[in-house]
Amino acid sequence: MSDSVVFSRRDFLKLVGVGVAGAAAGCGKPPAEKLVPYLVAPEDILPGVPYYYASTCRECPVGCGLVAKSREGRAIKLEGNPAHPVGQGGLCARGHAGLQGLYDPDRTRAPQVRAGALFKDATWDVALPIAGAKLAAARGRTLILTGCETGAMAELLSELAGATGAKHVMVEPFAYEAVRAANQQTFGVAAVPRYDFAAARCVVSFGADFLETFGAPTTQARAFAQMRARHDDGAGHFIAVEPRLSLTGAGADEWVAVKPGGEMAVALGMAHVILAENLAAPVAERAALLAAVAAWTPEAVEKASDVGAADLQRLARLFAKHAPGLAVAGGIATQGTQATALVAAVNLLNHVAGSVGRTLVFDRTVDFAGVASFAQFAEVVKAMGAGAYDVVIVHGANPAYALPKWAGFAEAFAKVPFKLSLSSAMDETTALCDMVLPSLHPLETFDDHRGTRGVYSLLQPAMKPLPMFDARPVGETFMALGRAAGVGAAWPATWMEYVKARWQPLHARLGQGRDFENFWLDSLKAGGAWEDVAAQPVRWTGTPRFEEPVRAGEGGCALVVAPSNNFYDGRGANRPWLQELPDMTSKAVWGSWAEIHPDTAKALGISAGDAIRIETAAGSVDVPAYLYAGIRKDTVALALGQGHTAYGRYAKDRGVNAASLVPQATDAACGALAYQGANAKLSRGTQAAVLYLQQEEKNQHGRHIAQVIPVAALLGGSQVKPQGVANGDVVESKPHLEDYDGHYPAGEGSLYQDPVMSKPGQHTEPLARPGSFKTPAHAITAFDPELKVREPRQNAVDVGSYATTNPNAQHRWALAINLDACNGCGACVVACNSENNVPVVGPDLIQKGREMSWIRIDRFEDALEPGKSDVRFIPMMCQHCGSAPCELVCPVYATYHNPEGLNAQVYNRCVGTRYCSNNCPYKVRAFNWFDYSAPEKTTFAFPEPLNWQLNPDVTVRSKGVMEKCTMCVQRILEGKGNAKDEKRPVRDGEIQTACAQSCPAQAITFGDLADPATSVHQKSFGERKYWVFEELNTRPGVTYLQKVKRDTRNGGPA
Amino acid sequence: MSMKRLAAAALVFSALACASMGFTQSFSVELGATRGPVQPIPFSHKTHAGKLNMACRYCHYGAWKSPWANIPAMSTCMGCHKIAVADRPNIQKLTGYWDRGERIPWVKVHYLPDHVKFNHKRHVLAGFPCQQCHGPVQNMDVVYQYSSLKMGWCVSCHRKYLNDPTHPATMDCLVCHH
Repeated sequence: MSDSVVFSRRDFLKLVGVGVAGAAAGCGKPPAEKLVPYLVAPEDILPGVPYYYASTCRECPVGCGLVAKSREGRAIKLEGNPAHPVGQGGLCARGHAGLQGLYDPDRTRAPQVRAGALFKDATWDVALPIAGAKLAAARGRTLILTGCETGAMAELLSELAGATGAKHVMVEPFAYEAVRAANQQTFGVAAVPRYDFAAARCVVSFGADFLETFGAPTTQARAFAQMRARHDDGAGHFIAVEPRLSLTGAGADEWVAVKPGGEMAVALGMAHVILAENLAAPVAERAALLAAVAAWTPEAVEKASDVGAADLQRLARLFAKHAPGLAVAGGIATQGTQATALVAAVNLLNHVAGSVGRTLVFDRTVDFAGVASFAQFAEVVKAMGAGAYDVVIVHGANPAYALPKWAGFAEAFAKVPFKLSLSSAMDETTALCDMVLPSLHPLETFDDHRGTRGVYSLLQPAMKPLPMFDARPVGETFMALGRAAGVGAAWPATWMEYVKARWQPLHARLGQGRDFENFWLDSLKAGGAWEDVAAQPVRWTGTPRFEEPVRAGEGGCALVVAPSNNFYDGRGANRPWLQELPDMTSKAVWGSWAEIHPDTAKALGISAGDAIRIETAAGSVDVPAYLYAGIRKDTVALALGQGHTAYGRYAKDRGVNAASLVPQATDAACGALAYQGANAKLSRGTQAAVLYLQQEEKNQHGRHIAQVIPVAALLGGSQVKPQGVANGDVVESKPHLEDYDGHYPAGEGSLYQDPVMSKPGQHTEPLARPGSFKTPAHAITAFDPELKVREPRQNAVDVGSYATTNPNAQHRWALAINLDACNGCGACVVACNSENNVPVVGPDLIQKGREMSWIRIDRFEDALEPGKSDVRFIPMMCQHCGSAPCELVCPVYATYHNPEGLNAQVYNRCVGTRYCSNNCPYKVRAFNWFDYSAPEKTTFAFPEPLNWQLNPDVTVRSKGVMEKCTMCVQRILEGKGNAKDEKRPVRDGEIQTACAQSCPAQAITFGDLADPATSVHQKSFGERKYWVFEELNTRPGVTYLQKVKRDTRNGGPA
Repeated sequence: MSMKRLAAAALVFSALACASMGFTQSFSVELGATRGPVQPIPFSHKTHAGKLNMACRYCHYGAWKSPWANIPAMSTCMGCHKIAVADRPNIQKLTGYWDRGERIPWVKVHYLPDHVKFNHKRHVLAGFPCQQCHGPVQNMDVVYQYSSLKMGWCVSCHRKYLNDPTHPATMDCLVCHH
């Protein structure tokens, strides 16, 4: 063995190294890439430069104006259209996710024809004539079933229905039947008014989730934030009267935990107090109204609603004192058996308090013209079951999912010989059809929308239709069907021409001397045309009889089935962004849960996450329990939207369909389905279910993350000098805090020594900075205005690791986040996902804390019990610390501080040690545990064509690297470039991060902190400012403004 | 040296040879070898940009307006070549593509490393001639990658212009890596 090969270690390594290099180099040659030119370059499109198309959101019936950003012919981002009266520049989470409807990998790819139990691909040439012949043969025995359609589509359908004798029925799960009926009865106008939150000085919500789904949430969120921003007179109270504290109600100063169905009694009781005590200017019908509410004395109300007589009087006095107030009945409260009476009662309250015409304005009303009530639709279903229709055409409606089983839709639908769906997604109703003629997504087609009075919105294609989907504009399909049935000789050839023709009358009115083509082009550019409309004068036209609702069914718990902030009625469930956006009440993702009170759970012997069975007359479900202190002990709540049996890979088989629990009951006065108020029986469930929570702990544990300040401390010349607050209530001044300037002492490196804080269970806030407040010495950073960061060479300011090499840093980018405006809607989260190519990771990884979102909204429940609520939302993203803990520990300088104050993350430097994340006190860094960007991996987050949505300006990160908020650096660079091109400095407000742009409540402000004139500077150095974890001396670039708490107990100041 | 040591050495050498071949093959494009790739039509920049003195921007129409310089649409080629030297075989090849409505699959020449963004517009507007990075394209019959386009090469220039009074460059990583 002497001559056996003996390699020295060195030789061996050499050999191995060279071999590996050879293998890698010799076999690793990438295939040559091709550059494919245009045949003819499209006019006005320059690759690399984004183009913007104004359009209208069709994710819910509201129709907010939006702007679609398009790169290289692909829509990659949606933003609110600031010029549009609906939405005013904000866009909600569901609106952003409209893109994922466009790029849904499960969109129907070609016309489908039923072959037995399955669908078979067909061509338009084959399928369309069959459908046309069926329609022609059916004559009058045709039913056209759509969602709420307005404008040109409504006209086309009525023409089509009129000429063929078909029946056109529009259905919406939330058609506001009660609001329309009650307004007709009491004011003579069958429409949803404009709720002018901005003008109100006190808002009382009777179950109205006006920041989530009710009315026009984005517009209302902005106006509501404006109302709350007025701290000068101490008004702006918000009281939520609902059995289950909704996301909207979570922002309330007081939660009135009314008995389900007792809302009407509270409204009448308040009206009674106002009338009896003459708290407002008397109305003409005073005597009659007083007689109508005579029975609703505070004591009677206490019995009917569980709201104490003294509390009721206090609320009524508060409401009357802060005139004009605004009482809103809506949302789930107006889906009960006495819904119309409830809205009428709230109208009465508004009327006697003098709010009608001031905060309840009938100018930009929404009338839902022609939308059937649930009762009317039930008649149609009955007729369908009796064989009244030979052909049913469905578009934009999904009753097979939305209706409870007892409504018998599926059975009745099955009796129809030929069922045709014009849907782009394979939803439950479409799956029952005999033929599918796929329609284009609203972002691929022309259309118009006239939901709000005086607002005529336009939709235009933001891109060419996706090539993998053989779809057509739904209007064109309807026209083709009509022609096959021998009608529509006068119709133009294309749907666009049809829409255009329907704008001729508008041109006559709003053309202002332009010829039609210019008017049309201007309207397309602007997103539509709108006119000022005078408020319809209303007077009190009639008082209905008020009767207490009776709860039907067995069981001791009242059922509340609420529309979801994420999915609305369920139509958003196939959007992965929305599935992964935590529900802002429970913070649950990717599934269903039932909200029950912890005491109720205890009595049932179940703990958080255990399966619970909910039984009603309509059915039963097993779902995981979420223990929620914001719900009455006798109430159980579920959110609509999950439990799909079809509708694509993201929606199918997740959670339960809450609509299946809704028993057979309607409001007789308006025909609305009673989603709320039935009895339900609770018991321990048997089926194991998993509750995926993105945030489990909702207690701040005295960490002062989301802070509040009483409004009294902000009033000019106020003598109230609170020094601390416990659960929203002013506590006595502590002598040791007299000289405390709101900041922790420098240099000691420890939490400040506050005996109140150190007491376990007690919660305090640093508050009330005196006027002389200055940034403490330890907090002087690159962005301190007094140090003239614009001439950094003249002082020794630390501008980060590049201080000596770059004298040209002109900016300190920063965010100011107003917690008083933030209502936790989650629009920023989805906007960020969309802008920054953030992957969706699914429930299992979320459960492990591996969510990838760059911005999250933390929910903290500092106090949550009837009569008292202090729920705080805080958007949390990378704080871009001036003294960042993450930067110090990175061994490869992958994370560093840029000269403009950004905490940067260089992906190709990152080796994935995750030290930075470990050292980040804010938990805002996300690690790519798996390859979310590799198409061959099962974890791939962007299956074709979802990957078409990816922003080409942002790197798609790969496995093993850390990522986090960049303050949308690609937008900063673009904005700086634009300014350079025009040889001017960057203007304030010109650059906006995706989150700031999208925020309906304008809670987020982005800008240059180094410029004292900017809005972000003024906010960051103004009152209410604080930094999260200030005591850690991280010197963040994100400044929070404390949420303002108003006292509803002592009548409030002023 | 025993035979086995010799064999081992031979192995090492052969591996080295393989590796070096691999290297040249692999990086001939990236590292700027003297020859560019073979294109479907032997388009000559020397003829167009040199002899005919056409402006770069005539075809690369995005260079000062977009992060991407862009390559010309085939209609741009045909604008002249419907008439100009239409009888030459290579032009007939071009006309063939055009008549068939096919697009020429040009082979990519310049490879920027991964995970980096480059903005043509900013550099062109700062007054840099195209040749600064692309080399004497007007003399190239076959265009090849003149500069390495690696980070050190970028940074050397950025460092030079760090304190430029009119167009200061930046050394901030985020400018290219985001």
